[in-house]
Amino acid sequence: MTIRKLLFIALLLLCQYICAQNDTITQLDEVIISDTQLRDYSNSQSVQQLNDSVIARNPASLGALLNYNTVIYFKENGLGMVSSPSFRGTTAQQTAVIWNGININSQLNGQTDFNILNAGDFNSVSVRAGGGSVIYGSSAIGGSIHLNNDLSFDDEIHNALLVKYGSYNTVNANYNFKASTRKFSSDVSISRNNSDNDYEYPNSDIKNENGQYYNTSYNAAFAYKLNEKNILRLYSYAYDGERHFSRTLAAPSQSKYQDINSRNLLEWLGIYGGFTSKLKAALLTEHYKYYARGNDNYTFGKVNTWLGTYDLAYTITDNLKINTLLNYTHNKGEGSDIEAKERNIGSGSVLLQHSVTQKLEYEVGVRKEITDVYESPLLFSFGGSYDVAKFYTVKVNASRNFRIPTFNDLYWQGSGNPDLKPESSYQAEIGNEFKAKNFKFTLTGYYIKLRNMLRWIPTGSVWRPENVGKVNTYGVESLIDWQKNVGSSRFAFDGTYAYTVSRKDGNSSQLIYVPFHKATASLAYSYKNISTYYRHLYNGKVFNTSDNSSQIDAYNVSTLGAEYHFKLMQGLDIGVQVHNLWDKAYQNVATRPMPGRNYTMYLNFKF
Amino acid sequence: MKLNKLILTAFAGAFFFASCSSDDDSVTIVEPKGDYENGLLILNEGGFNAGDASISFLSEDYVLENNVFSGVNGADLGDTGQDIGLHSDYAYIVVNNSHKIEVVNRYTFEKVTTITTGLDNPRYIAFSGAKGYVTNWGDPADTEDDYVAVLDLSTNTVASNISVAEGPEAIVENNGKLYVAHKGGYGYGNTVSVINAASGTVETTVAVGDVPNSLEIDNGKLYVMGEGAPSWSGTETTGQLTVVNLTDNSVSQDFVFDGITHPSNLVIEGSKLYYTIDDGIYTMDVNATALPTEALFATTAQGVYGVYSFEVKNDKVYVGDAGDYNSNGKVYIYSLTGTLEQTFTVGVIPAGFYFNN
Repeated sequence: MTIRKLLFIALLLLCQYICAQNDTITQLDEVIISDTQLRDYSNSQSVQQLNDSVIARNPASLGALLNYNTVIYFKENGLGMVSSPSFRGTTAQQTAVIWNGININSQLNGQTDFNILNAGDFNSVSVRAGGGSVIYGSSAIGGSIHLNNDLSFDDEIHNALLVKYGSYNTVNANYNFKASTRKFSSDVSISRNNSDNDYEYPNSDIKNENGQYYNTSYNAAFAYKLNEKNILRLYSYAYDGERHFSRTLAAPSQSKYQDINSRNLLEWLGIYGGFTSKLKAALLTEHYKYYARGNDNYTFGKVNTWLGTYDLAYTITDNLKINTLLNYTHNKGEGSDIEAKERNIGSGSVLLQHSVTQKLEYEVGVRKEITDVYESPLLFSFGGSYDVAKFYTVKVNASRNFRIPTFNDLYWQGSGNPDLKPESSYQAEIGNEFKAKNFKFTLTGYYIKLRNMLRWIPTGSVWRPENVGKVNTYGVESLIDWQKNVGSSRFAFDGTYAYTVSRKDGNSSQLIYVPFHKATASLAYSYKNISTYYRHLYNGKVFNTSDNSSQIDAYNVSTLGAEYHFKLMQGLDIGVQVHNLWDKAYQNVATRPMPGRNYTMYLNFKF
Repeated sequence: MKLNKLILTAFAGAFFFASCSSDDDSVTIVEPKGDYENGLLILNEGGFNAGDASISFLSEDYVLENNVFSGVNGADLGDTGQDIGLHSDYAYIVVNNSHKIEVVNRYTFEKVTTITTGLDNPRYIAFSGAKGYVTNWGDPADTEDDYVAVLDLSTNTVASNISVAEGPEAIVENNGKLYVAHKGGYGYGNTVSVINAASGTVETTVAVGDVPNSLEIDNGKLYVMGEGAPSWSGTETTGQLTVVNLTDNSVSQDFVFDGITHPSNLVIEGSKLYYTIDDGIYTMDVNATALPTEALFATTAQGVYGVYSFEVKNDKVYVGDAGDYNSNGKVYIYSLTGTLEQTFTVGVIPAGFYFNN
């Protein structure tokens, strides 16, 4: 109802402007950003952006990119298998993945598998640390990952082809086509990955049997300027992949898993004076099939999600912005193990950002969800940033966030629990940002108090999800960037470090698969047309039993790469990489060895 | 271990040289057969796909040793320990998700061989003559591919298969007959197959309560505990204890549990029959005509969610508690009246007790 009213108002406004033939044209930005809240309402938190040059030099999967370049820890069930993040010591369901502004975590299990997203499909990947449920909804507790395609009207055509070939017959290919006129813009990307993935387990005579995979993905963004004030945009995504689930040291495997996902988002953007209005409609589909034995028998789950959003931003003054978001979500799920169900969720958020002085700004937000399935808490967020000195900014943020029960939690045959409440968290953080000409350093401390955590626990002979968990998490994260040019030489260093303590209330044991320490470092050196780079990951020990009686040892793993740049068309880079340079035997998940030293060569051609 | 062997060899050598003509009347020195004779073997199942199955050994004077298999053999046991069969000098450890049987010397736990060929989701093992019989689910979603693998114990290879109905689980032997409970794989069974071990054929099928999970033979009778179909099966049913007369395989008695109750862990010791419901221990006389209305005792004080494994021997009750199914489990030993006497921390998910004597 409310959406309709607003739409009506918007139409009225549009009509007025068209009729009035207004001469004072508000120029649209040359670059159209798909997720404006990430830009405008994230100033009191840490946002780390990974651009396409970083993406090109990293492995194709989003999980590997983030593992090597951010503080986020990934639990990967063997190379290329299911990859679940733990951001700030939280669970995979407490990290939200946002594609062009909308939440794409699975409705079935509440999380995103980071090995079924290809980083090359997006022209920017951003990591927003800390609470974000007020803007992005469920799961933005530890933080959120933003996959964006920003479009420009620069009247140019760009082609980019990135092809990699590596050990275990691994092929990663990505083709990206960008073309725009003054009225129309497009950005189309297609990725194909496949691998035999049959590496030998170090110090063993076993190979990584049944680990082969392939996937194809398509991601496109189009924009069309109806006139100087109105733009239509369409974002489309499709993914089709099949992974065999590899064996472990102790057990062979015959299973395989297919994912077929699609996302379509249509958006009408209008800029009318101080108002920016966005009307969005989206259809997301997710569908998996699990073949336990490699024969024709499978189990499946599928959910279709229809989404309607009205996003109205108003610039009251140059220093004061307000933004309302109205959201309606309809999910329809079915599967071999869940009851067929539909659910409706409505939500409204109000965000405000105020630059009090040049040095001081703050932002405030509230959100409330309404659904017939569960009681939702009132969410809030407030934060500020203050430039203490030219080189030093301090940021504070506090928020209440949540994670809603999934279809599996609510409707699993015989054991789903329809009386679940959402998980909710109170959290606070203080960030320090130091900036110099070639240098940026941030240090953030945070605390998260999570309540009503959903856990599947044995009740008699049945395992059921209950709101039993209480978890307190605190830690420190730090990011460093440094670059320097000396003559024709260029040095760049990026580093991250996270210290994380995550415990159940009244318990001194660290949660399983949460490392106390994780650090990444990458050093790049280039001289004229030659570049070399080295990246290193330190993953501290993790416990794999809840009583901390069993652990997986810490490991160091690194990659050395070299690249030559040819001045051909818009540029041709040819490179080689040695992964696991020191040939260390390591495991990320118990009984699932990762590969020893292996190689990739690549070609990155822009024309 | 090596030192033990050397000493043994020295002794043997001494006997050989000193008294080869008078073996029979020499001084009796009872050599221990190994470190793990005369005590309790505890099979810790481990997490599915976690590869942390293990074996604990509890000596008769209550000294616990965890990780016996890996300690002796320097390699992990495997994924999802399901059952141990003790026969002659050997222990046959059925490792479900590794689809294998580890054969070890039952007293030293030194590995003899690993059987991998011919097993597909192996569950339980029983013996008759010089053969082992291993129930196999095959593909749990396939109702047609279930079988009992016949193990030639002289070569430790699977010699043949006996096709059976879906979900063969517990198996016991009596007088050359094998009794197999069809718990049902991913489905819900309600029969017991009677197999003639010598001919390798299914002679008859006995209808029992839904989802039979444990079998005991006592005094010419087969006792079958059916736990009833679970809530997620669509039609939940209550548990049932069925008594089969082995002379003609006829059902001589059916005990149906009140309301919806899911009993498990049937054990017969002496003239008593024991079983568990959630965290409660129940007992009745084997000849009783009605089920007990009250628990013998409960394990609530120890925080046991549901008794995962269970045994009664020599006036002691053994309870395995899987806890959160991720961390190390507990074993509690009680008197017959429910007084807690011993507590031990064992491996992940203690799933079975086997007395090694």
